Amino acid sequence: MRPTFLKGAIGPRANDSRFLLDVHHRQLPGEATMRRYRDDEEVDLAVVGAGAGGSVLAQRLARRGWRIVVLEAGPFWHPDEDWVSDEAGSHRLYWTQKRIIGGADPIEMGKNNSGRGVGGSMIHYAGYCPRFHPSDFETFTRDGVGADWPISYGELEPHYRELERELPVAGQDWPWDRPHRYPFSPHPISGGAQLIWKGARALDIEFRVGPVGIVNGTFGNRPHCIYRGYCLQGCKVNAKASPFVTHLPDALAHGVEVRAGCMATRVEVDASGRRATGITYVEEATGRERFQRARVVAIAGYSIETPRLLLNSTGGRHPHGLGNGEDQVGRYVMVQGADQTAGRFPTEVRMYKAPPPEISSEQFYETDPGRGFARGFSIQTVSPLPIGWAEHVLADGHWGRALREYMRDYNHWFAIGVLCELLPQADNRVTLAEERDRYGMPIARFDHSRCDNDRHNMAYARGVITDLLRAAGAQDVLSITRYAHLIGGCRMGTSPAESVVDRHQRVWGMMNLYLADGSVCPTQGSANPALTIMALSSRLARHLARNPA
Amino acid sequence: MPDFASARHLPNLREGKEPPDKRWLPRQRRGITPQMVGRYPDYDVLEQIDAWDPATRRVIEERMRAGGRRLTFFTTAEERTLRAFCDVAVAQDEEPRVPVAELVDEKLAAGRLDGYQYAGMPDDRDTWRLVLRGLDEAAGERFGAASFADLGLTEQEAIVVELSRGNLTGGTWQTLDAGRAWSVCMRMILSAFYSHPWAWNEIGFGGPAYPRGFMRMGPVGTLEPYERAGATHEDPARMAPRLEP
Repeated sequence: MRPTFLKGAIGPRANDSRFLLDVHHRQLPGEATMRRYRDDEEVDLAVVGAGAGGSVLAQRLARRGWRIVVLEAGPFWHPDEDWVSDEAGSHRLYWTQKRIIGGADPIEMGKNNSGRGVGGSMIHYAGYCPRFHPSDFETFTRDGVGADWPISYGELEPHYRELERELPVAGQDWPWDRPHRYPFSPHPISGGAQLIWKGARALDIEFRVGPVGIVNGTFGNRPHCIYRGYCLQGCKVNAKASPFVTHLPDALAHGVEVRAGCMATRVEVDASGRRATGITYVEEATGRERFQRARVVAIAGYSIETPRLLLNSTGGRHPHGLGNGEDQVGRYVMVQGADQTAGRFPTEVRMYKAPPPEISSEQFYETDPGRGFARGFSIQTVSPLPIGWAEHVLADGHWGRALREYMRDYNHWFAIGVLCELLPQADNRVTLAEERDRYGMPIARFDHSRCDNDRHNMAYARGVITDLLRAAGAQDVLSITRYAHLIGGCRMGTSPAESVVDRHQRVWGMMNLYLADGSVCPTQGSANPALTIMALSSRLARHLARNPA
Repeated sequence: MPDFASARHLPNLREGKEPPDKRWLPRQRRGITPQMVGRYPDYDVLEQIDAWDPATRRVIEERMRAGGRRLTFFTTAEERTLRAFCDVAVAQDEEPRVPVAELVDEKLAAGRLDGYQYAGMPDDRDTWRLVLRGLDEAAGERFGAASFADLGLTEQEAIVVELSRGNLTGGTWQTLDAGRAWSVCMRMILSAFYSHPWAWNEIGFGGPAYPRGFMRMGPVGTLEPYERAGATHEDPARMAPRLEP
């Protein structure tokens, strides 16, 4: 008989973050007593970026005794004072430094997909934590599109399992592709989500509750979710998982220094051009340029900032930037087609109550030749707050009096969204623009255009959720075309001609420079990327612990 | 009598997509809504202010003090057009008004931008100035007026509808993509308008919810003790069932 699995009663093996947090306040414990390193001290590891990728890497290796400095461009949060239960007031959580967006289908940045500050963009992600599917690692072999990864699902699976305990992930047993269970029980769902489920049943679409990185029950000193609906504005409750509560407390307890307000501008290399010596950065408070020496350097700045930093690190043997000998840095950046459709119901639904991430479906995740395009999409509840809802109404062409009328109807609406797997394309890329930021560093430009397969996928997916809302009894539907998430930009592969890093996320041609974020993913599936980014860092940490550079 | 179960008031389901006159809705009886219309005449989110955490409360109280503040980003010459444009964009045709122009001005003055700029577009701050100039030009060209602000509501709406469809051309609009500029301005206007508690009253939004949270998530139509269901313009005293002696 299979061993039984006691939901809600198990925790991770090597991460004490949940016990280190304080029940009564939300500050990161250990900030005041945090270990500090001198710039000229060669630390074992310098990480750029204290988000999903950088934090997990630091936490894992700190437990192995590595001396680590994490440089973070944004602030060190004090959530009780800094975060608010308010949409417009949460502006500081986003990366709002200017980026130029171009191409036929430009991608809006900022609050949509970019975080700044200790904890990264997981501070304001919704909370969905699905795994990638095994097929995501071999889309070229299976479907003739995208690229195969140099690693398989099986290599990430133990890390998925461990991270699901660390976040912890709550949800129903997961039936799709590689069935698995979650360590915490599914959350109760709102009346609105129940309406959607009813419509889905009529169309034979399967849904499941979760998977969300939101505590259900108590987990160490992290409290139960209070269903207030402000997941995208930073969780003031400590119920939603982000590295700020899941990995950084343990990292600090093991000697990691998180140096906030420090913008990395260059990775420096030695005369051989093959070894990184550390990171040049600007300290925001003083405007002073500093340099942190390190034995190993890991960049975890995500799909825009990681390529930008590599492209800006020119000189000597690297006239076009680090890892860019074959013009691969910044290419194959992906986003997911994330159309949302809202339906109007005769009764009040009040979608602002309960977390936006409630139920989801991966029934359409895999390629179905009958649909006429490769790969697929997932469906999730999204529940925008008033400003988000206003943007939704505007997208349908309403403003002025008509917009006010739709807005007054807010409580009768419920919104669901899709995540369509858009394919990696070489010309969807990050480059450096002419304009410079206040550190003197060229700002990033991101060009994005869809291919035919992308357009067919998005049109089909929108049809499915529109039918679903109609089946649920919606009297009117409004849709918005949009994009979500970032992935790729420095993909891993088997040769420098078509990738930036090898299967261990080491930059080709460099002895000790690693990328530890979502930029290394060659494909993106239809899953939200947070869990996979963490799992990749967890895997990288194990590799580095066994093979010190 | 308004029937909120029906969706007949929604513009997409009406002839010419024309919304009903706002007078189909009740006047606000409790608290304030923009123009004192709303769907929840007996609901005032500000009555819950004691349940908000101090950081949130500070931010929202500060926002509510923006009304009447002197503009610092826009010039006096730009101010009239700015106010007229903000009014039309969210249909604020009478007092009380959410101070949209002040909130937009404050954001631009502080450089709190959204983190992206379309290729070929100027900085958002320059876009705003160009849009105001372009609106005045369109007012002159189409209606012979000196300023967009001098036009009547119908004329103003006729210009804004063209802006929203990206159809304005000539003059300033030769160098500025009208459709993109519309999106830049509306992002900021909508964010200002729907960040204000008066607008939350109008739409019956529960507002900040920490540390209290929500406990009653379903079935649909279930209310927290302080939430109010949508109501009509009828006098509640007359609507109540007559008490038997």
